[in-house]
Amino acid sequence: MQEAIVFSLNVSYGIISLALLVLGLAIIFGLLGVLNMAHGELVAIGAYTAWAVQSAGLPLLLALPVAAVAAGAIGWLMEITIIRHLYRRPFDTLLATWGISILLREAIKLCFGLEYKSVIEPVGGSITILGADYPTYRIWLMVAVVLGFVGLFLWYRRSHAGTRVRAMVANPMLASAVGIETAKLARRAFVLGAASAGLAGCLMAPLIRIDPYMGVDYLLSSFFVLVVGGLGSLQGVFIGSGVIGGAETAASTILGGTGGYVTVLVISILFLWLKPGGLYARR
Amino acid sequence: MDRRNFLKTTIGALAASQIASPTWAQGKPLKLGFLIPKSGPAGIFGPSSETTTAMAIEEINASGGILGRQVEALFGDAGGAPSDTVQAAQRLWRRDGVDALIGQHDSASREAVAAMLRGQLTYVYTPVNEGGYCHTNTYSLGETPDQQLAPVIPYLAKEHGLKKWYLIGNDYVWPRGTNAAAKTYIAETGGEIVGEEYHPFTVDNFDTSLTRIRESGADAVLITLVGGASVTFNRAFASFGLDKQAIRLGTLIEENTLAGIGEANSNRMYSTAGYFDALDTPAALAFRKTYYDRFGADAPVLNTLGEGCYEGAMALRAMFEAAGSTETDAVAAAANGVSYTGPRGTTTLSEGFAASDIYLATAKGAVFEIVQRFEKVAPGNACTNG
Repeated sequence: MQEAIVFSLNVSYGIISLALLVLGLAIIFGLLGVLNMAHGELVAIGAYTAWAVQSAGLPLLLALPVAAVAAGAIGWLMEITIIRHLYRRPFDTLLATWGISILLREAIKLCFGLEYKSVIEPVGGSITILGADYPTYRIWLMVAVVLGFVGLFLWYRRSHAGTRVRAMVANPMLASAVGIETAKLARRAFVLGAASAGLAGCLMAPLIRIDPYMGVDYLLSSFFVLVVGGLGSLQGVFIGSGVIGGAETAASTILGGTGGYVTVLVISILFLWLKPGGLYARR
Repeated sequence: MDRRNFLKTTIGALAASQIASPTWAQGKPLKLGFLIPKSGPAGIFGPSSETTTAMAIEEINASGGILGRQVEALFGDAGGAPSDTVQAAQRLWRRDGVDALIGQHDSASREAVAAMLRGQLTYVYTPVNEGGYCHTNTYSLGETPDQQLAPVIPYLAKEHGLKKWYLIGNDYVWPRGTNAAAKTYIAETGGEIVGEEYHPFTVDNFDTSLTRIRESGADAVLITLVGGASVTFNRAFASFGLDKQAIRLGTLIEENTLAGIGEANSNRMYSTAGYFDALDTPAALAFRKTYYDRFGADAPVLNTLGEGCYEGAMALRAMFEAAGSTETDAVAAAANGVSYTGPRGTTTLSEGFAASDIYLATAKGAVFEIVQRFEKVAPGNACTNG
């Protein structure tokens, strides 16, 4: 019984943390068609922000807005200087954002050095759920992320901003013809995606290793989710995270770490081959 | 200190020492080629390797150089794939004409470099290694599993009454070699192995391993995960409260890794190595004082891998002076039994490996504290690759 509870909590954590990390990438790719290779570095910047805030002796909660603003500001800078010239040129954006990712990584090395950083959990210890011990911070994180996703989903469905974004995505020419400022909207979407990557890094910081190369890991697993879930929808993010996160946790329970990783690779390859649009394709 | 400042001060110091030295005019400088990780994930060990190397070169030159010649350090990047390290080694050897190579990098790169050199150049390999190999004119100074574990496993088993060991490591030759040795020593204490697993470097979630460790009832976990993997594993290990169930012993948990694991997650964690920043022997304290005086309190924290580069230079001085020459054959004839004194005490070369003191340290928050010293532990190396 205890094992079953810990297992299902592990699966939930795998799915939810993956969805959190993928969100920024999915927003930018889904809304703008830009595959942001610098996504992982934006996550890293969020994590380093958490470290900087904590080592300055300030409460960790303060790191959340700081991380969102820092990553958002970098996203804004990326958009106005480089990305906006490259919309609708997928391969060029791929190369450009890859270059930016190297630049950001070197900047992180210069600012923070190569050493590992450690962020202490704001709520330590573990709580007992139906007789099974589970780390408290993970529970809080899962609750917060699920609430955040529900809010985001409602906002996107109901607000005018959501409608305008959907109009721009569906038909950019027509959208600008009816008076929607697509350039401004695209910039906001990009900044939002970058900021959410920063937030994800900040929220995950107490649970993960923090070094200048951490971004690469998160970029890879995020791609797998997008491949499976389908490119560019909130539902796709959750479905993709569910398949990848669930399969990885389940497979590594049975087959070990290497088996888990291989399973994820095989699933991704099968999807690219047999169902390139993913489970929840936009069109 | 950032890289630019470091380069400025190092170049400045090297230039000054060369101008001031009366022996400079007597002959060509003796060149030592250092292969250290400057990029990639292992790049974390680059800065401390550069500073300790600079310090070794300064000290050697201040005391008259090697064989009356001033010494110059050249660097190659060993942070990438073994093939890249081989290219860096070739450049140092063929283009720059170094008199010896000193390597501080992973075992796979060592095998590749040794295969390329084929004994034509003296090659000193400094980090902790799996032992059990030998190559002509290659000398390994770092700790072998036999040194790290033969005294430590019985000590910990007795201290904590350990019976059930769980082995977890990254999937390559060093962790597997270490665990092969560990099994013998664990069996000798009457303990049993309740789990053994190897993870690729890409794994960043150890939840299922942690569940397995809990279910196995292990009271000790031997960790041969490296760098970032070790950080991730140990953080999760403590957050699940497993530190109450089992002690942890790592054979490569050094100061940087411990900083990443963090003070909140280091309860009941041990590390075994020949050198720690916390070491309080006169030799280590003197080394430490010179280092932090020279490079400032913000200098890259001292650790066993960085310290190895300093020792590499000191070992080569002892070997070259014992041979009276830098020729590989002369060095090989003289090397066996050569002793030199470094931060981890007096170390003696023996059949291509080194006998040295071994220390067991435990984490107190985010720093180590030495628990026990084991004197002059033999490398116990029987070479198996001919």
